[in-house]
Amino acid sequence: MPATGYAIDVRDLGVRYNLHLTRRTTIKGSLAEWVGRRQRDDRFFWALRHVDFRIAHGESLGVLGPNGAGKSTLLLALAGILAPDEGSIRVSGRVSSLLTLGAGFEMEVSGRENIALIGAFMGIRHRVMRELTPSIIEFADIGPFIDAPVRTYSSGMRARLGFSIATAIAPDILLLDEVLGTGDEDFRARSQQRIRDLVGRARAIVLVTHDLNSVSEYCNRAILMELGQVLYEGEPQATVEFYKDRVRKRKARLAEEEAAREAAGLPPPVRLDEVASS
Amino acid sequence: MLPFRLPMTTPARVAPDARPAAAQRPPGFRELFMRLDGVRLVIRGLQDLRTRGRLLQYLVGTDLKRTHADTVIGQLWWLIDPFFSMAIYSILVTVVFQRSIPDAPLFLFAAILPWQWFSTSLLDATTSVTARGNLIRQIQFPKLVLPAASTLAGTITFGFGLLSLAVLYLVYPGRLSPWLLTLPAIAAVQYVFTLALAILFSGLNAFYRDVQNLLRHVTRVWFYMSPAIYAVSALKGSIFGYVLGLNPFTYILTSYRNVAYYGTSPDWIGLGVVLTVSLVLLGFSIWVFKRIETGFAKIL
Repeated sequence: MPATGYAIDVRDLGVRYNLHLTRRTTIKGSLAEWVGRRQRDDRFFWALRHVDFRIAHGESLGVLGPNGAGKSTLLLALAGILAPDEGSIRVSGRVSSLLTLGAGFEMEVSGRENIALIGAFMGIRHRVMRELTPSIIEFADIGPFIDAPVRTYSSGMRARLGFSIATAIAPDILLLDEVLGTGDEDFRARSQQRIRDLVGRARAIVLVTHDLNSVSEYCNRAILMELGQVLYEGEPQATVEFYKDRVRKRKARLAEEEAAREAAGLPPPVRLDEVASS
Repeated sequence: MLPFRLPMTTPARVAPDARPAAAQRPPGFRELFMRLDGVRLVIRGLQDLRTRGRLLQYLVGTDLKRTHADTVIGQLWWLIDPFFSMAIYSILVTVVFQRSIPDAPLFLFAAILPWQWFSTSLLDATTSVTARGNLIRQIQFPKLVLPAASTLAGTITFGFGLLSLAVLYLVYPGRLSPWLLTLPAIAAVQYVFTLALAILFSGLNAFYRDVQNLLRHVTRVWFYMSPAIYAVSALKGSIFGYVLGLNPFTYILTSYRNVAYYGTSPDWIGLGVVLTVSLVLLGFSIWVFKRIETGFAKIL
């Protein structure tokens, strides 16, 4: 494998959501939309736009940003679940996001059959899956329940089984979302050990996190995202500084606006948390 | 703080715009999404189904387990269900409508059984994509297996229904004929037609839930517009008879009835036309499905 090869090559990536084709669309609404104002740009919300970066083998990239910045959409696109509407994503090797924690189980069939089913969904070869099954069951640690329908499982058991399946095969490219703490103390310790193991074997890692310290500590590069765009890319420390600076400036601006409002004699804006607590 | 440590390696210095030449690219370096169109998209769809045989098999298994989970007699329902509907329609036609059809139960069963295969497969398949929304947002897999598995599960149920048809011949042994051996050919034509519609509607239903509601009513009307509880000859010459001529199920159900009840040959020409139309429709459906498949994860 040439050392110069990229593990992930993202060019001018854009992912958009059609705001009028959300969950409960009806043909009637859609027709009205289509007749009324067709192809207007405001029908689309770009969750990602002009995102452009490359990750070389051995790198780990931190992704920072406020809520709604597009971090999760980026992970979904890298995992191959969301298709780009613009640009391209190229990857080298098997990508795995540890998103598959529990949901997607077939309730009426046993845990053992679910292991086979989800393995087949993930495209893992039957023979490989059959070899892995004993260790998946052992890791999930749900005892005799493995042959009972999944609907009888507790949420903890479901989460353990989901984690066990999702992490059974070490991916070449590992996508991590920081929300990974599941189960009791013992299982958390074992799952952390397993993630450490996957991290050690992965050729490239993308880590989405809110924890600024972990980015500068663990990643060798970081990007800051906001409103679906990459605002900054660089050394982790520099990215974190840029982010902190930005948050500080925003706070200052908000304080300024408030002061101006007070000076003009306008009432202060109602804040949601105040309404909720009163 | 992360509970684990990520490896700290210095990345190889890469000039921002240096792309590895094609020859240098590591094996498996690939576009995550290929943009195909036309015939190649249809071929890709067929490959999806061919390479995911194991997944199809598991999905069919779970589908069948789910339908009769928590029932006392379990899989026996597959044999009993068709008997009940046959009994109901027999009473309806002979007692309520006062039609005198010789061996009415067999006459009705020969057409109602395949019809129910069609309607339940189609309705199940239509919701097959929306029912797996959770999974679609978590794992990347060819979504085409979902409607295909639903129709295959329906086919297995139909197979059990044929067992109850066999039981019926114990009552009417005189109606047995060698033409019954052509029944798989008729079923194959019907399957292609069902699959084509199932793929199309399951894809559209992800965007418009109206499809599943509308389809329930459409299939009910369609049932009465098909020669299931009457023979085509009953409507010869009327305007309704011309409408029947446009309905694929006129040829399909007539063929079933020919081989299972009259002991004559299927309507080969009619079946040939239906098969041709169905194959074209299947290609179109796969094309549409593959075009909109990439949008499923965004809207489910």
